[in-house]
Amino acid sequence: MSDDLPDQFDLVVIGTGFTESCIAAAASRIGKTVLHIDLNEYYGDVWSSFNLDALNTLLQQSNTMVRNGRFTWHDSCEESASWTREKLLEKSRRFSLDLCPRVAYSAGELVQLLIKSNICRYAEFRALDHVCMWYNNELVSVPCSRSDVFNTKTLSIVEKRLLMKFLTACNDYGEDKCNEDSLAFRGRTFLEYLQAQRVTDKIATCVMQSIAMCTPNTSFEEGMQRTQRFLDSLGRYGNTPFLFPMYGCGELPQCFCRLCAVYGGIYCLKRSVDRITVEDSTNELLLSSAGKTLRAKQVVCAPGQVPLDQLQSEVRAHISRGLLIASSPLGGEDLNKGGGGVNLLRLLTPDGQHEAFLIQLSHYSGTCPEGLYIFHLTTSASSDDPAADLAPFVELLFGAQTPQQLIYSAYFTIAAPVTTNAALPRIYCTAPPSYELDYDAAIANAREIFGKLYVDAEFLPRAPDPEEIVVDGEDPSALNEHSLPDDLRAQLHDLQQAAQDMDIAE
Amino acid sequence: MAKTYDYLFKLLLIGDSGVGKTCILFRFSEDAFNTTFISTIGIDFKIRTIELDNKKIKLQIWDTAGQERFRTITTAYYRGAMGIMLVYDITQEKSFENIKNWIRNIEENAAADVEKMLLGNKCELNDKRQVSKERGEQLAIEYGIKFMETSAKASINVEEAFLTLASDIKAKTEKRMEANNPPKGGHQLKLTEIRTKDSWLSRCSLL
Repeated sequence: MSDDLPDQFDLVVIGTGFTESCIAAAASRIGKTVLHIDLNEYYGDVWSSFNLDALNTLLQQSNTMVRNGRFTWHDSCEESASWTREKLLEKSRRFSLDLCPRVAYSAGELVQLLIKSNICRYAEFRALDHVCMWYNNELVSVPCSRSDVFNTKTLSIVEKRLLMKFLTACNDYGEDKCNEDSLAFRGRTFLEYLQAQRVTDKIATCVMQSIAMCTPNTSFEEGMQRTQRFLDSLGRYGNTPFLFPMYGCGELPQCFCRLCAVYGGIYCLKRSVDRITVEDSTNELLLSSAGKTLRAKQVVCAPGQVPLDQLQSEVRAHISRGLLIASSPLGGEDLNKGGGGVNLLRLLTPDGQHEAFLIQLSHYSGTCPEGLYIFHLTTSASSDDPAADLAPFVELLFGAQTPQQLIYSAYFTIAAPVTTNAALPRIYCTAPPSYELDYDAAIANAREIFGKLYVDAEFLPRAPDPEEIVVDGEDPSALNEHSLPDDLRAQLHDLQQAAQDMDIAE
Repeated sequence: MAKTYDYLFKLLLIGDSGVGKTCILFRFSEDAFNTTFISTIGIDFKIRTIELDNKKIKLQIWDTAGQERFRTITTAYYRGAMGIMLVYDITQEKSFENIKNWIRNIEENAAADVEKMLLGNKCELNDKRQVSKERGEQLAIEYGIKFMETSAKASINVEEAFLTLASDIKAKTEKRMEANNPPKGGHQLKLTEIRTKDSWLSRCSLL
């Protein structure tokens, strides 16, 4: 099958994770010949999603980048339990379990990039139902819309006013109308500013934990920036400022791969590269892969995709992940209307030193069967024991839950190379997924590498819609609107538009 | 703006490289034929609106973008698909044998109730035929799906095939709607959905 694979490319991208897929799509989009390969038989590398069986298999294997994997079934002794191990495995394919779950700010980098590049046509999103905070050992929804603020019973009228006043001040910060007093806080922490506004403890928690997502040490400027980012993303798609990709985050790299393929990029999975060398006479990179030598002008490589000694030093624990499946959601009915919400909660340990985020997914996200809930916990790894890293958070959230509701739990570590050796020229290594809620760092990494590969080229310009593409050599007798000059086509569109608008009475 | 259609169906074309998926797509969407597509480049999907029983149906038909070449169709390709055209080339035995693999791939990745149809393309090349019509029919019966031999070049049965698939999906959709159980979807990002900054903030300050 690989015999008819061409052997000369402008760019070979190794690894189909998010960052690599962005770069592959961007290169293909500007007309470069791209080969995109992955040593795994699935798309997405450590950014992929798996069904339940496949995840269990992955966790049992030794994998360079996904390590310390283990899973546990919490079998219920009650025979009446509606969900059992057998039933879950029976519906294995209905699960889409993310290695790197994220949410996207509605006005954030990812959403802007998807819209700008027109890659958004390949993806579908669900607006998160609630952003939550953990207050007084209770899960509380953070009001994110006008009706939320009106309806919420968790805040008193005075608190509502305080919160609104505070957020308005944050929103105005940096603009002409901004309050002079706030400028005095430059160089101090955001928490100090917040306390100076004499807000209640509940509001302080709400802002620090969920809106600005700060730690006590976060600077005033950064806190302001984060608050504004939250506010900017409100009121765009749903009730909260966040979106979750339908069917899981593993879809996103594939959307970029699709664009790459549409522009001629060639895809080959389950294909490894054993060695990369430079041919002195041509200055090309030679990749030995499955008994074949591929030539590339430049190479982009993800961590762990080529033998380690070649590009990277040893790897170490980077992100600790927990993945729990239960038959009941966290929080009460108000947080899980109509069978369950897709909710976000950011957690801090009491000392403020460690943080984690939790994404609760219901079947509305297309990632699990109805009646089940997935809890994705993510934190920066502080050890090679992901369960221990996450234990304080799991304790906090699930300690009070009756045990039969929890059916399955899995823990694993996502590793990252300690250092990256740029031993060969024109090979660029992408960064592993970082601990972040959105995709900002990954996109910045993709942009940076693309900028080095193709100086001055535009990163993912808008791809035309299919209707706009004129195929050369199309049957000339089949004259249609696409063959019209632009001005006539615009007129035709206007006419059609007018005709459509008149249809309303129908 | 008045909605210009009653239903929107997402359809996929699946099958080995070179069986003529893109040609079928072009025959149906543009009523044109072009032999110069070496492999699928730059073709994403095509749209054509048809009318069945006084209902306007917008068909969005997706091509593989060449990702079938090394059996690397993305799982995302199958999301939300309501109908799939499985295409083989009657002059290529191998492409017919591979239909089984493609069906397995569909079963793993597409919705369980996706409507499928089998097409034996290039039926104008009868002198080079390697797969008899009977074998095509037999395979379709085995999987309980409909079958047609088509020619994108000679414009045989392409229109009929899509109309058949669309009408089967329509019947299924209407049945489901009667059962009052419409499928739930997510948001597609569109520029137009974006409203101005701080819209709720300014209103909320009235509190």
